[in-house]
Amino acid sequence: MSIPREAYQTLQSIVGTEWVSDDPAICEADRYCSLSSPSEEKRRPGCSIEPVSTEEVQAIVKVANRYKLPFVVTSTYYSAGTYCRKDDSILIDLKRMNKLEIDEENLYAIVEPGVVFSALQADLFKRGLCTFVPGCGGHASVVANTVNMGDAPLGWRYGLGYQRLLGVEWVLPDGEMLKMGSLSMSKDYFWGEGPGPDLRGLLRGCAGHQSRMGIITKIGVKVFPFVSEELEPEGWAFRSFIKLPPNRFKWYNIRFYSREDAINAMFELGRCEIALVVMTVPPIFRGVARTRGVGCGGFWEFWKDAGPKLNPKQMDLRVLLYGIGSDKRLEYEEKVLLDIVKEYGGSPREAPCRDETNFMAADAICANVVGGRFSSEVSYESINQAVRYSKVVDKITDEHRPPILQEYNSTDWVCPYELGYIAKMECLRMASVEDNYALQEWKNDCQDACAKGGAYALVPDNKVFGPIWGNYPEKEDKIRAAFDPNHVSAPG
Amino acid sequence: MLKVEEYKHQAATCVRCSYCKFPDLNYIKSSRFSRQCPIDTRYRFNLYSAHGLLHSALAELDGKLEFTPKLMDALWHCTLCGGCDIRCKRNLDVEVLQVIETLRCRCVEQGKGPMPEHKMLADNVKKSHNIYGADHKERLNWMPEDVKPAQKADILYFVGDPSSYRHPEIAQATARLLSQAGVPFMVLADEWSSGHELFATGQLELAREMADHNIKAIKDSGAKKVITSDAECYKTLKADYPKILEKSTEDMPYSVLHITEYVDQLMKDGKLKFRRRVPMKVTYHDPCNLGRLAEPWYHWEPKYEPPNIAVGKTWRRGYNGVYEPPRNILKGIRGIELIEMQRVWDNAWCCGYGGGVGTAFPDFALWTAGERAEEARTTGAEAIVSCCPNCKDILGQAAEAKKTGMKVYDITEIMLRAIR
Amino acid sequence: MQIKEKLTKIVGAENVSDDPEVLLSYSKDCSLSAPRMPNYVARPKNTDEVHGVVRLANENGIPVVPASSGIHFYGNTIPNLGGIVLDLRRMNKILEVDLYNKMVRVEPGVTWGQLQSEAAKHKMMGLCPLLPHPLKSVLTSHLEREPMLIPKFEYAGSLVTMEAVLPEGEVFRTGSACVPGFPDKSMAEGVNPGGPGYLSYNWLIQGAQGTMGVVTWAKVKMAPRPKIDKTLFIPFESLEDAIQLVYNVQRRMIGEECLIINSVNLAAILTKKWPQDYNNLRRILTPWTVILVLGGGWRRPEEKIEYEEDGLREAAAELHIPALPTSLPGLPGIERELPGMLRTAWPEKKTYWKFADKGACQDVFFYTTLNRTPDFVQVMNQVAAENGYCIDDIGIYIQPMEYGRSCHFECSFPYNPDDTDEVAMIRNLYAEAAETAMDMGGYFSRPYGVVVDMVYDKAASYTTALKKVKQLLDPNNIMSPGRLCF
Ligand SMILES: Cc1cc2nc3c(=O)[nH]c(=O)nc-3n(C[C@H](O)[C@H](O)[C@H](O)COP(=O)(O)OP(=O)(O)OC[C@H]3O[C@@H](n4cnc5c(N)ncnc54)[C@H](O)[C@@H]3O)c2cc1C
Repeated sequence: MSIPREAYQTLQSIVGTEWVSDDPAICEADRYCSLSSPSEEKRRPGCSIEPVSTEEVQAIVKVANRYKLPFVVTSTYYSAGTYCRKDDSILIDLKRMNKLEIDEENLYAIVEPGVVFSALQADLFKRGLCTFVPGCGGHASVVANTVNMGDAPLGWRYGLGYQRLLGVEWVLPDGEMLKMGSLSMSKDYFWGEGPGPDLRGLLRGCAGHQSRMGIITKIGVKVFPFVSEELEPEGWAFRSFIKLPPNRFKWYNIRFYSREDAINAMFELGRCEIALVVMTVPPIFRGVARTRGVGCGGFWEFWKDAGPKLNPKQMDLRVLLYGIGSDKRLEYEEKVLLDIVKEYGGSPREAPCRDETNFMAADAICANVVGGRFSSEVSYESINQAVRYSKVVDKITDEHRPPILQEYNSTDWVCPYELGYIAKMECLRMASVEDNYALQEWKNDCQDACAKGGAYALVPDNKVFGPIWGNYPEKEDKIRAAFDPNHVSAPG
Repeated sequence: MLKVEEYKHQAATCVRCSYCKFPDLNYIKSSRFSRQCPIDTRYRFNLYSAHGLLHSALAELDGKLEFTPKLMDALWHCTLCGGCDIRCKRNLDVEVLQVIETLRCRCVEQGKGPMPEHKMLADNVKKSHNIYGADHKERLNWMPEDVKPAQKADILYFVGDPSSYRHPEIAQATARLLSQAGVPFMVLADEWSSGHELFATGQLELAREMADHNIKAIKDSGAKKVITSDAECYKTLKADYPKILEKSTEDMPYSVLHITEYVDQLMKDGKLKFRRRVPMKVTYHDPCNLGRLAEPWYHWEPKYEPPNIAVGKTWRRGYNGVYEPPRNILKGIRGIELIEMQRVWDNAWCCGYGGGVGTAFPDFALWTAGERAEEARTTGAEAIVSCCPNCKDILGQAAEAKKTGMKVYDITEIMLRAIR
Repeated sequence: MQIKEKLTKIVGAENVSDDPEVLLSYSKDCSLSAPRMPNYVARPKNTDEVHGVVRLANENGIPVVPASSGIHFYGNTIPNLGGIVLDLRRMNKILEVDLYNKMVRVEPGVTWGQLQSEAAKHKMMGLCPLLPHPLKSVLTSHLEREPMLIPKFEYAGSLVTMEAVLPEGEVFRTGSACVPGFPDKSMAEGVNPGGPGYLSYNWLIQGAQGTMGVVTWAKVKMAPRPKIDKTLFIPFESLEDAIQLVYNVQRRMIGEECLIINSVNLAAILTKKWPQDYNNLRRILTPWTVILVLGGGWRRPEEKIEYEEDGLREAAAELHIPALPTSLPGLPGIERELPGMLRTAWPEKKTYWKFADKGACQDVFFYTTLNRTPDFVQVMNQVAAENGYCIDDIGIYIQPMEYGRSCHFECSFPYNPDDTDEVAMIRNLYAEAAETAMDMGGYFSRPYGVVVDMVYDKAASYTTALKKVKQLLDPNNIMSPGRLCF
């Protein structure tokens, strides 16, 4: 089977022959994205296409509808879990759409899907503004990440992805255009909701649609006031970082001798509304950090000794204080932090005033160095759920090793956002490339436990959660059928 | 060329996170110059990137994919600049560049590659020991009359094809520089092509002949140190020769220094001073082969322990290249003001010439160089300085095509002006 | 069985009415919207009863209009097509004060006064709009996305999860409140607004003016109540200067409540004795005042205020603002009173501040960015003048949102509701002002009255999509039909 000639020719005439291809190699290279589940079959797309404008995207989607060809969209293709599940799919790659505008005064940027975080950030720094990179990395698309996930430790102050979305330009699965928020009535992107009921509710839930509801071609995204000095990078190769002005920033690593103390301290930090980042640090991260430049062998050399010595009662907190607007604020925040730490019996240690993984770069993928593949159980709920659910995950993990590698359950972490109103829990688990399947089995068991325990899962399995969560899949199906009558937007 | 099991393992370890397309993210200074990979930046399809090629390598190996026109196009447009390789190795253990090189070799083995222009290089080399097909007897014609190389010396200047035939000014500057610094040096009476482009284009048999010949000639000369002014020769002598001989650099019968390393050392030892002012604002372009690809080669027989420990392997992660010496030199010359571009050191954007691209796809090479010229222009410098004849060549064309008004020099030319 | 009997079975006889006198009070509100009589009023006491009424209505194709507050300003509880008004005021319990997550779960009938006094017991406060009416429901303030006085919170998340009876009669919980066993037997605590699945029902139900379902409880954010406060009243002759200060202050993330208000509104809020104080205040206040409340945090409150004051001085110095007064002329002690005032409802015993001058008030409000507000002021004045409205009587309130990223711009036209000529003029003025503002890019994210059609005509693609969603959720169009574009 292949894409009908007429359809293909039309696609060529939309984007020009250079920017669409059905060459098997082009298509094969677009078969997988990162960390795709090993059990699912991924189809080679029937063709890959690279539009440069919203008009082109719209035209492509209309062709897909006319010929009932499924399409899947990518921006930088780092996502976990998007690929073609049907033959003769059109893979729409939006890298060429990379326009970027910044409204300095009113704190937002307008970005197309090809713009990645680090690039936006570099332009923002020059204007005394900032955004921040998701854990997966500064090389993820701002649009794809914000509409799908959008979490990173700086979310402690600046919130999760769904809160950063302003005006949205959206090509619906049937090729119709939907403009949301202030954009619905003018050319302005500054405000996100409405008019009336907020259709950003169609755009994403806890996570995004992964291509199943058409294509976002442009968004307004919030950016934040920042220090005026440009942040200079230093160090290089795998040890690079950006220097933070020490009069405005201070990192603390704090060891607590009981988990309860650490968690309570976290709640208290939220009530005091200080800091830019607050998160627990899984001990294994230290191992992975040391591994930079020495690889898997170097990691295990360290971990063989360090792992068994871990004290499971302890918990380390990492806190970045930020004197937003003044040096004195930093002094204030430090005093408050140290008060809290003292009250909960923690030992604070100041860490170098620089950043490796929040402002510009981030490298979640480096966890793969441990064995070659990782998977993670993630949830976004309260700090309390994070604590309870990670214990459940730990128990399940012990039943799965080997082949799941021994990390002594030291990869669980809690990263609260919005000053503690919500928190991410992540439990990473590693295996070798060959044992990737074991991670999938582990994940299935976690989902079952999550359902039973009344925890809230990210990317729930419809079969497990549908019946107990208000039959949400039925509602989704209805919505999708209404907006995607030909069932072309990433079906399957 | 990787052995098949290792090739497969390396390709399979890629998780397609796409970091291979970017400079070290901490070093991105603007959205305009925020990419690393020339083929990705120009052609955009994921096939045109390291992860695309690694994935193709797996599919080709498994018989699911042939060398289709686009695969050929992507594979041979790659400049082998190695940006992808070291970026990936920031986080993971994947021999990205070696997989791409091996994929090229497989393409050649199957008679599908290389490009006709690359075959022509091979024909030329077979005919006259240089890639241009120029008369081998004229190889030393560049030698200025005022320079008399030594018959016997510790130092041997390995010139390479480009400086011998196309950019004699570089060879001349190097020779004059050495002689004015009072350094006795030899040249090979019968230097052959380094084989750099033959290695790059998977024509390994002939490349090996070059290696064998040159190594023997160097050995016979009795030189202790080989100096090059050509980044490509440097990397080939230092890494490609041992690699093809399944040895490590340290086991080679010679050691290689780039002229900038040598001069930098002389300066540090107080044996050379640049006395003349060269009033000029310059920016420095790191050649890939002198920067991230310039690390010594470490021979390794694949041996793994679970989960993925490469036992006894020393990884080349790109941080031991020659980055500082050229900068030390430029800073050591009075009147020179060095203004860095946005993408420097291991993040340098490729000039576009490498990997056989300058030969087979001159338009794309010029496009890539044009990106660099634009970047150079934003520094406000008057000139781009580099350390490799092919960089100079293509950047020179680009600087003109982009109407930057900038001059392009090899660092040896600047040094010579400063010493005279 | 007649509908009334069925309703009686569900909510009890004393909670159903079709008495015309009772119905009359539900047929109109404080807005200019035309009155419409409902057929019944039902006053359920819990979700089950709401569920029963909605099912009954759906089965019989009878409109249902939910109403939670005891007062309505925008015509959005008037039963346009008759039917049942669901008066939810009996559902007035604070179901849960969740101090870990700094949230509170409230039923629709909970008022601001009620919430704030409960929150204060826990050293917390609800995130509150400007001086809400004492009968105003907390839940509907959030559902309607009324702007909050504290610009430091990211706006989109103040209403976190909810339970709603959907038009077809299903009881549905949004976000992570959907887990079985919530709230007592689940690990999840109902703090994630997204989902379940790939949709955010929360967002679809917000701003819907009762067209997408009946919310029976909602979990909303609170914030720690500052231990001490310092209030500043920074006077400005020009709005441009006031805005610059607000940009400067917000960029430094200083303070709690922050708003820009003109002398008319400020006088109305602070007047103790009408009308003499009012007239006097209007005379002595500068045209614009930036009100900024610095809040001492939970720990080291004095030190917090100190650095904020420093920052504020710096922000002011950059703009050559000479003084940062902490009091208002003629109103001794107001600085101590104000934070408390801003953190609760308008006192029950006093005439609502918007009505105190002339008995009624018509608002035109929309979102814009701060830098564009002076243009809007000018145009509003112009439109008012053209309609013969005295521009000195216009109240203006500008609420910076989210660190000054944008703002809520609210223009109030007090009028005498008993003067039919004036009412007619205001009607015209309202329409013209809204239309002009819209043409200039004012964004009406929650349209009411005559603005509704203007908005949905203009937002064509949005309207189409919205209608699709409505059709799926409410195929019989029983929920508040005739409202918005439905
Ligand atoms: C190792 C790893 C770590 C991660 N860590 C984090 C993390 O810390 N924080 C976080 O927020 N996320 C994280 N993620 C998930 C994250 O959402 C995605 O990886 C990332 O945003 C993908 O970005 P991308 O730019 O490559 O998007 P793509 O892969 O191109 O797209 C992501 C998804 O969005 C869809 N999509 C892309 N563009 C559009 C568009 N224009 N319109 C509609 N749909 C579109 C795609 O179909 C796909 O489903 C992680 C993922 C991985 C693999």
